[in-house]
Amino acid sequence: MPDTASPDITRPDPTRPDPARRSAQPSGGAILAVEDLTVAFGGLKALDGVSLSIAAGEITGLIGPNGSGKSTLVNTVSGQLPVRGGRIRLHGGDVTGRRPDRIVRAGMARTYQIPRVPPTLTVEEVLSVPLLYAGRDRHRLPGLGDAAAIAAFCGLGPLFRRHCGDLSVTDLRRLEIARALACAPDLLLLDEAMAGLSHEDSVEVMGLIRNVHEQGISIVIIEHLMRVITTLCHRVVVLNNGRLLAEGAPATVLADQAVREAYLGKGFAS
Amino acid sequence: MKTGLTRLLPYILILLVTLALVWIDKPFWIQLAIGVAITAITALAWDILSRTGQVSLGSAAFFGVGSYTLAIFEPLIGLTLAWIAVVVVCALAATLLGLLTLRLRRMYFAIATLGFALSMQVLVVVFPDWTGGSGGIAPPVLADGDPRWQLALIGLLLLAAVALSDALLGLRFRPAFFMIRTKPELAAASGVPVVRMKIFAFIVSGVLIGLAGACYGGLYGYVVPTDVFTTNWSVLPLAIATLGGMDTTVGPLLGAIALKALEEVARSVIGGTGYQVVYGAVIILFVIGMPQGIVGLLRKAGTLAGRRTAAGEKKKERERHA
Repeated sequence: MPDTASPDITRPDPTRPDPARRSAQPSGGAILAVEDLTVAFGGLKALDGVSLSIAAGEITGLIGPNGSGKSTLVNTVSGQLPVRGGRIRLHGGDVTGRRPDRIVRAGMARTYQIPRVPPTLTVEEVLSVPLLYAGRDRHRLPGLGDAAAIAAFCGLGPLFRRHCGDLSVTDLRRLEIARALACAPDLLLLDEAMAGLSHEDSVEVMGLIRNVHEQGISIVIIEHLMRVITTLCHRVVVLNNGRLLAEGAPATVLADQAVREAYLGKGFAS
Repeated sequence: MKTGLTRLLPYILILLVTLALVWIDKPFWIQLAIGVAITAITALAWDILSRTGQVSLGSAAFFGVGSYTLAIFEPLIGLTLAWIAVVVVCALAATLLGLLTLRLRRMYFAIATLGFALSMQVLVVVFPDWTGGSGGIAPPVLADGDPRWQLALIGLLLLAAVALSDALLGLRFRPAFFMIRTKPELAAASGVPVVRMKIFAFIVSGVLIGLAGACYGGLYGYVVPTDVFTTNWSVLPLAIATLGGMDTTVGPLLGAIALKALEEVARSVIGGTGYQVVYGAVIILFVIGMPQGIVGLLRKAGTLAGRRTAAGEKKKERERHA
């Protein structure tokens, strides 16, 4: 069991601990629980016995240096990488090894850092795919029941009938969030939604993420920008070398010595 | 969006041309139309598959399997059931090949399907007791050998292929297919069952080509392996769809007409076998000069003419932002 977290860092209390597993934390407040998750590429363990839980209703930041396993974690829980060991629970139900489209149907959507949408499709057509296939109750999110409403919510209203090949990088990011939103998820995983954006654009996208959260959607953000983490997140999870390094409130975690060392040279020590 | 009439135009034209040719009863034109229709069906089928990113060079396998299935099963279970067997066998072959090539991308997929087509030809020669070997086999003659009725039947099959192609270009399938082609992970992350959709496209495509092959075999009631399993039937659908315009229904139709017209002109002007070289060269030039195919060229022409219709406006916008 990895136990690298410093003792002063708070861990969420499991209100309903699973007696069969020490690491299991399917508490009433956990929307996603990862138990002892191991993912390997050949001999390299990209994730090495990671256990963590994502609280419902919160915005959780997932940080760590390059190669720490953040993207592997997102790719694995969303069903796109095979699991070598451990369990993934969504709403307490086991989704380990399920197909990505099934996991979307179970209520977890994700975005891609580089979305690559078909350039000949319009914004409307892209949004139609999750609306038709994700099989979720589209009216679960009030006011976000159809493609036009979702596009408007994400600031894509005027671009609704435009082809994706004509969109700017920022608009493609918005579209990617809109596409995930059209899956009507309970939990949304955002993979570096702000990478490569200008300061102004990233502030706008942060506003959008906040609005999404206000719809009652729990969010996990993978992000390198610390100001995004400190402004948006209720809680932070830190990965390093495929293991859980720390988790807790942003201020506490970012002040933690082990976390600082992992990020040394990243220039946020001030 | 296209207006209702534009949408119905291909159906009306196919129906009118077929009826006119059946009525006029000129053998040359009927044979030409049959040739156009069969190649158009294979090109539509190829295009349907390519919309999911599966660029096949294995059409000949299904073309041959279709004609051979009809020939082998007709004496055993009768004509009607033999046609059903064509559908079933081609669907099974498509499912199998689709599952085997599932993880292959682009060129590797194309090579694998080409290998499948070539090995089918070998298989036919290796089991002469069932298939007649290299000597060929005799499928039941289509419509008692009356070319007019043959054209009518193949015209109906073409109409079905056009309807299927149109249905798969609707909102239910087109965006999902394109998303699978561009980035399958993104499609899966949008709830699309990627494997099932790819196999589904493969089945629709394979069955259509198989039915076209069965019709082809039934034209004269005689096929040899080198007639239906040739690379020609694998490359022709691809060439036609590219020439006419991919991801459309009209493209493969126009492509088939253009290619057959080109072939006939080259044959009568140059003659011999030399015409095939010229004909091949012209196809290459067309593909290089018009990457969007004939449909793309027409769209551009429509834009230049500055049509003020709603459809024209939309195409114009597309061009401006391309």
